[in-house]
Amino acid sequence: MPIIGEFSELYLFPNGLFITIQLAVVSLLGSLVLGTVIALFRISPLVPLRWLGGGYVEFFRNTPLLVQLFFLYFATPYIGIYLGEPDTFGFRAAALGLTLYHAAYVAEIVRGGLLAVDKGQIEAARSLGLSYLGMLREVQLPQTFRAVIPPLGNIAIALVKNTSLAATIGVADLLFAGDIVESRTFRAEEAYAAVAVLYLSLTIPLGLLVNYLEKRMIVAR
Amino acid sequence: MRGSLKTAAVALAALFVVAACGGGAGTGTPAASASAATGTAVTSTRPKLELSSYAYGIQTKGKLRVGTREDNVPFGVKNVATSKFEGFDVDIAREIAKAIFGNEPDIDKFIEYVPVVSATRIPTLNENKADFVIATFTINEDRKKQIDFSDVYFNTGQKILVKKDNTTIKDVKDLNGKRVCSAKGSTSEKNITAAAPQATLELQDTYPPCLILLQQGRVDAVSTDETILFGLVKQDPNTKIVGAYFSAEPYGIGVKQNKNNDRNGFVDLINRTLVAMIQDGRWAKSYKQWITPVSGDEKKTPDQR
Repeated sequence: MPIIGEFSELYLFPNGLFITIQLAVVSLLGSLVLGTVIALFRISPLVPLRWLGGGYVEFFRNTPLLVQLFFLYFATPYIGIYLGEPDTFGFRAAALGLTLYHAAYVAEIVRGGLLAVDKGQIEAARSLGLSYLGMLREVQLPQTFRAVIPPLGNIAIALVKNTSLAATIGVADLLFAGDIVESRTFRAEEAYAAVAVLYLSLTIPLGLLVNYLEKRMIVAR
Repeated sequence: MRGSLKTAAVALAALFVVAACGGGAGTGTPAASASAATGTAVTSTRPKLELSSYAYGIQTKGKLRVGTREDNVPFGVKNVATSKFEGFDVDIAREIAKAIFGNEPDIDKFIEYVPVVSATRIPTLNENKADFVIATFTINEDRKKQIDFSDVYFNTGQKILVKKDNTTIKDVKDLNGKRVCSAKGSTSEKNITAAAPQATLELQDTYPPCLILLQQGRVDAVSTDETILFGLVKQDPNTKIVGAYFSAEPYGIGVKQNKNNDRNGFVDLINRTLVAMIQDGRWAKSYKQWITPVSGDEKKTPDQR
């Protein structure tokens, strides 16, 4: 009976892993898009856009992610915002929180990459008759993304690990599965070792992917 | 120094006796009726204990290490204003200390409080950081494999908390098809699944977040030990407790297992103290002080339903 009782909890790990992957993919894509937009705001010729971008980065980078998640999960209904039905609320709050937080970091990295592109190229593109947006799309952004792949890889790995904070707002992710297995079996060492190994199974391949992309981009350059 | 302390103790003791005689039954101050209830004259002499018993060692060292909670209203709470521990569990711990050190006027001088949380209760005992743990500790078979328990000193069970205007949830069966909040990995969570398999569980780390979700209408009910629900109702009077108990949660005092004869007679001493407390009314008095304000009932013994 104890053996069966313990193994009966194991289904929780694949379920939790699946939720963690979903959360990481959604938040990573979201923060890449949002972060790039914020970075463009920050180098925009329009002053109000620069202020908006700067304010965004300072706010989300300088408050703890856990506080942001608690706010989104517990406080938003009080100000009339419902992120979803009760059964989807937790996942959406976690995905939104992770996106907003990591977009601030992505924005800073992309901004650095944009500024690193040689001024001469930008001037050349504009003098050839490209509009500002055309120049961004054809000249400045492609070079930027090549340069920022290693730091973006770091952010992606940090994001995968930070998804574990979603367990604190009731999202049944990988850490949540570990918590439940631990409390039912009293075997903390096995439960959390399994959780750590499963996180590694996500972050190590991600790191290898980043290395591969980095090498390919250098060849292309 | 020691002499003047003793004098002070005797003077205080005399005061108590005078107050107890003058006040008459039931009208004395709480302190006075406490010493009157014990029925013994207050002295600073130590009770005689078996030399081979664990309690004798504690008496010699002069400190009893009590593991309890700091934030568990109304059982074990650290009062932020006075930084003293108080509550139903703390009252019982003090009576056990008196069984070892005698009827000292300031028994807290002989107690070292070791703060615990749910997950650290068993390790605190097995790593010998406390002599016993009294912290709304449910006696169950899994735990009995790892530690020893005293007799039951408090009985509660699981019930359901809903909004006051809810008329559809009256019993645990009504939770089927509803969203129910409970603590992640708790026995409460398992009890809900067993009693209402169609209920959808929303699991949080503690119960205050569950109350927020109930207030916002994101869950239909919160379910756990009635004693915890009492605390939530006190926080939000727009909620109510419904249904009958659908689990039994008998609380006991945890002690390290006497495997190497290093806890000789300790559980017995605790059990004798509990029996005496129930017989002479000290248990009922603590119940009335701490539990009655939240439960509205009065009990003379833990078995009374």
